[in-house]
Amino acid sequence: MVVSFEALFNFYPPSAYSFCLTCHTRDLVNQTVNLIFRTNFQTAPISHRAVEATSFFVILGAFIAARRYREYRLQKSNRPLLFFAAGFVVMILGILIFGCPTRIAVRVGYGDLYGIIAFVGMVFGVWIGTILLRRVSRKLT
Amino acid sequence: MGRIVLTLALAILGGGIGFLAQRSRMCFVAGFRDYFIVRDRELLFGIFSFIVTIWLLTSVLYPMNIIRSGIPQYGDAVIRRSVEHVRVSTSYIPSIRDFIIGGLGEGTNLSSHFLNKFIYITFAGGLMIGLVSTLAGGCVLRQHVLFAQGNMNALYYIAGFYTSVVVYYVFLFRYAVLLY
Repeated sequence: MVVSFEALFNFYPPSAYSFCLTCHTRDLVNQTVNLIFRTNFQTAPISHRAVEATSFFVILGAFIAARRYREYRLQKSNRPLLFFAAGFVVMILGILIFGCPTRIAVRVGYGDLYGIIAFVGMVFGVWIGTILLRRVSRKLT
Repeated sequence: MGRIVLTLALAILGGGIGFLAQRSRMCFVAGFRDYFIVRDRELLFGIFSFIVTIWLLTSVLYPMNIIRSGIPQYGDAVIRRSVEHVRVSTSYIPSIRDFIIGGLGEGTNLSSHFLNKFIYITFAGGLMIGLVSTLAGGCVLRQHVLFAQGNMNALYYIAGFYTSVVVYYVFLFRYAVLLY
């Protein structure tokens, strides 16, 4: 789906860019800020040809699915600050290495060496994270 | 005109992926997490089928000359500059596909990868993304889907997601130039 999109609409440069939540959000926010404050923050070249509101449409699509199959239910937030910080850090890292986990996987499929290295790093990080999670759960019990 | 068409197409793509991700509980971090904790292979197969599908499609479409954009080469200085507006001076670095199909090109050797600073940054960044996403309980795509399902933790996640863009470019971007 992602690849055929890029093939159909010539969605480049940068390549393998047709679905990435951090990069598209980055472009969207920076475009808006550039428009309002006349700054010169970076955007990808493709953003001159399209408005990249992928983030909103992913939420919309998932919302339709959740409503249709009756899985929508409100859950109150228990640790807002932790999740705020997590989103903050992931976004900055995503900008640094050009991709959210989804785009890292896409780049692995494209055969990008840097994508593969990032993917290996991600798996390693998940492994460390599981060790931490286990330790926390042991302390609680 | 082309702008509107592209935006609408992107909307359909995003909506479709959001719909499918909600149905399949797809997450690129939770697949590995479930495998490491309880040896649940279901989501892991999802990740690898995703990658293999893209791999096969690109392998078919590159020789047919339908995809013209090429492999993303962030080791390549020109492309990185076009995204980043940052001046870097590194030599041309082939991607893994060049290794397999054509071997190493002229003027490059394997050690040039390990002299490139960006490779370490990529690894460390990937590691931190994996770690933080595991602690937050899902990758970026999964958090968007959770927000659509009514999880208010994900709302704070996305709020942090959006504010950090502005904070990063106002305060931190001048130091990030040192990394590239």
